Amino acid sequence: MSVQIENNPLKFARKILSDLRASEDMGLLKCVQCGMCTSTCPGAKNSDYNPRGMVEKVLEGEESIISDEEIWNCFYCYTCHSVCPVGNNPCEINQILRGIAIDKGIANDKVGSFAGYGDSFLTIGIGAMPKSFFMELNEDIEGWLDFKSKLEEIREELGLGSITISNESIEEINTLLKKVGFNKRIEELKK
Amino acid sequence: MTADIKSSNSDKDLKVGVFICRCGGNISDMVDIDKLKDSIDLDVVEEFVNLCSINGRKIIRDKVINENLDRVIIAACSPMTHEKTFQDYIKPLNPYLMDMVNLREQCSWVHENIEEATEKAICLINASIGKVKQSQAVDPITCQSPESAIVIGGGISGISAALSLGKQGIKTYLIEKTPSIGGNMVKIGKVFSPVRLAEECGMCLINPVMNELIWNPNVTIMTNTKVLSAERRVGIFNILLERSPRYVDSDKCISCGNCSDVCPIEVLDSWNDNLSTKKAIYRPFSQSFPDAYTIDIENCKKCGNCIKKCSMNAIHLNSENELIPINVGAVIIATGHEIFDPKLRPEYGYEKYEDVITQSELGRIMGVNGPTKGKLKMQSSNRVPKRIVMIQCVGSRDEKPDGHKYCSKVCCMVALKNANIIKNKYPDTDVLICYTDMRTPGMYEKYYKHGQENGIRLMRGRPGEISKKGNSLIVNVENTLKKEFMEIETDMIVLSVAIEPSEGTKEIAKIFDIGLTEDMFIKEIHPKIKPVTTDVKGTYVCGTAQGPNDITDSIVQANAASAKIAELLHDGLEVEPFIGEIDFEKCNLCKDCIDSCRYKAISTKDDEIFIDPLSCSGCGKCLTVCKSNAINIQGNISEKIFATIDGMLKGKKDWEQRILVFLDHVGYTAADNIGVNRIEYPKSIYIIKVHSINRVMPKHIIYALKNGVNGVFIGEYPGDLMYDEVEKRIKNMKQKIKEYGFNPERLQFSTVYIPYFTGLARKFKEFDTKIKNL
Repeated sequence: MSVQIENNPLKFARKILSDLRASEDMGLLKCVQCGMCTSTCPGAKNSDYNPRGMVEKVLEGEESIISDEEIWNCFYCYTCHSVCPVGNNPCEINQILRGIAIDKGIANDKVGSFAGYGDSFLTIGIGAMPKSFFMELNEDIEGWLDFKSKLEEIREELGLGSITISNESIEEINTLLKKVGFNKRIEELKK
Repeated sequence: MTADIKSSNSDKDLKVGVFICRCGGNISDMVDIDKLKDSIDLDVVEEFVNLCSINGRKIIRDKVINENLDRVIIAACSPMTHEKTFQDYIKPLNPYLMDMVNLREQCSWVHENIEEATEKAICLINASIGKVKQSQAVDPITCQSPESAIVIGGGISGISAALSLGKQGIKTYLIEKTPSIGGNMVKIGKVFSPVRLAEECGMCLINPVMNELIWNPNVTIMTNTKVLSAERRVGIFNILLERSPRYVDSDKCISCGNCSDVCPIEVLDSWNDNLSTKKAIYRPFSQSFPDAYTIDIENCKKCGNCIKKCSMNAIHLNSENELIPINVGAVIIATGHEIFDPKLRPEYGYEKYEDVITQSELGRIMGVNGPTKGKLKMQSSNRVPKRIVMIQCVGSRDEKPDGHKYCSKVCCMVALKNANIIKNKYPDTDVLICYTDMRTPGMYEKYYKHGQENGIRLMRGRPGEISKKGNSLIVNVENTLKKEFMEIETDMIVLSVAIEPSEGTKEIAKIFDIGLTEDMFIKEIHPKIKPVTTDVKGTYVCGTAQGPNDITDSIVQANAASAKIAELLHDGLEVEPFIGEIDFEKCNLCKDCIDSCRYKAISTKDDEIFIDPLSCSGCGKCLTVCKSNAINIQGNISEKIFATIDGMLKGKKDWEQRILVFLDHVGYTAADNIGVNRIEYPKSIYIIKVHSINRVMPKHIIYALKNGVNGVFIGEYPGDLMYDEVEKRIKNMKQKIKEYGFNPERLQFSTVYIPYFTGLARKFKEFDTKIKNL
């Protein structure tokens, strides 16, 4: 590998650090690749995901990490962050990388199935489980469908208010979301 | 606004002589000496080709004596070069009654127009005449401290320091809070030799040193003793010690050990890291000093068995604490370290699993005088471990809560040493060191390679978790070089825990008012150029009280500290006399000055404020906080500044621009450097040297502006202790200037660095242009 004089590998790391999602005190540039994150990472234990390796790629400016399949094996337990001796946060970095992948439109197969969550904001005004997951959940949790269909009654019995939002409010939410381009993004993800 | 120039009647009568140096053309090629001489309205005005020569001395001395001069002005080179020379040449006149005018570095070498340079020279000499009339004859202050010292802490650092002091003839008290001197080194077992690539008996190395110390007539060793309080006055420390009883008379005790045999109480033996037990009456270790038993009174049930058994009648259970006051001239802090509590990293299972131990505990286990008599055994099963994994950086290089950001410096070598000892004795045991970086600088690298040849295995990766599977421990680690996640089965895990500042270090720092680093070790006043010197005059630090250090570095520091003390005690101290003095009539004891002093020079004694001449820098900070104007700094510095301003503004034409530049020692040297390198700057720049930038008060600046100065430039070196202070004050000064109706832009503050003289010259030019355009 030849390293060109104009090539500044830290540009990529700086881009990650300046992302909105990055914590202000993230110790990315202090990483010495000790591997403590990987040694405690359940994702690393069960797949080829390697948080240290991911941070290494970021520090070397290897943007190919964005399209690496393995970054989708992190499940956000944050153990890597809690053990890191220099306050780095591979989990957060992972989220930022995934965000970039989504922006690039190369992650639809990973996140497309979750687009239904976004739809719910547009249709009922709040975040809700997409219908496509209902049957699967009912298999895992006994009586879930029953609970779901009677939720309003149960809430009333418990003296809690309705979770249904008025049409007027839903309209308002829709206007807002459309203004910020939310619906377009959801449609993009479904492609 | 009145300038408080004290113009006593005698001012006019003072006889001032001016001596001008041609400096072999360096000055006279650019300054018209005849014109200069004509401009001075004094009886004694002399010139010579080089005043600093022996002939120059004759001219000056003859005139001083024959003409009865009261004040002398030497218009020559920079005072940085020859001030001491001319202070000597004006004898028998007091050295502080002479002023130097810098005609070379700050006039002839920075200007290229003879007329301009001559005008400036005339002005500078005028300013000096005004200034020198304000001078007072002051004598340098000399302080002589008693030829004695206290060394606090009886580990290898304290022992080395006390021995060195004793050998130099300095009466030394070595204070140790535990019942024996020896510290951590006697516990270590073996130490490594980077030269012989072998491990040596630590006790055999320290014991002769301890014996030498014990027999040194100048050293008094006091065990079971701690410092209660301390007070410092002009180089003398009054210290109150408290000695707790050992309950066994060390003069009578013959260390037969019969008492211990009959003692029914068993307590954990901290000397063996609690891996074994001892009796409540015990000897800390075989070579402990004093050579006597002692009683752990907290655990003693006072059954009296030992008293009955002791044939020497040496045991007294009713002994009491003793207070001992001492006076010494200097202090060495050698209060050592503690180690990071491995329980704070529960992921490593120190409490959970018996076979997770620390390097210190491994050292005791491998020691022939330890709990297993040197046999390597697992805590859980008594068998020799098949594999040992060592984990580095536990609590070091760790920014997590309770961790330490620093590298503990010794752990790589400690791990290699213990691994080598194991490999030598148990070659079949696999020893794996999990490291982040191996740090083995200098000759230590050879020992590292020796360890590898000995079969020690190394893996780069910092383990995150330890668990148990069956009878084995499992280390989760990524082999970062192979990029492979590993679960390593092992019998034993050794944690290389961090070195931490000891509680004793923090206590002593508080008692002596010595600054601590952000890591709570004793702070050196300038770690780069003044190692082992603390921020309190006369106190020094060595060993792990200063930071993580190995035995060799600790001894080096101990010897350095002892050498600094010898300097201090043998030669006395000559202090510049320009220091603070208190007017007790005016002082209302508000003590604001005490808190304001960055040099810790002010304290109270017997209801009076006291300024320690050894510590006072004459910076004048206290003057600014004293509401009752009770502090004065000797040497009439404020009046000299006013007089210099007057002189520098004399003859200023309306269209002419003049800028005053205030610089202290560092800034002035930078300005000299501009001249030395023959870089030109505007003629408008007039430099005034002050003892401390802090001495330039708003009243001086306003006085200058009112009297027609166009701009004031203040420069300060950012490494100066007062820098932050000055930077803050500039803001207030600008505000004040505004209140008086002047543009605050006429005041400029800037950093200065000696090597960056080109930058200073540029700033002069820029400021000159800026003022012109205002």
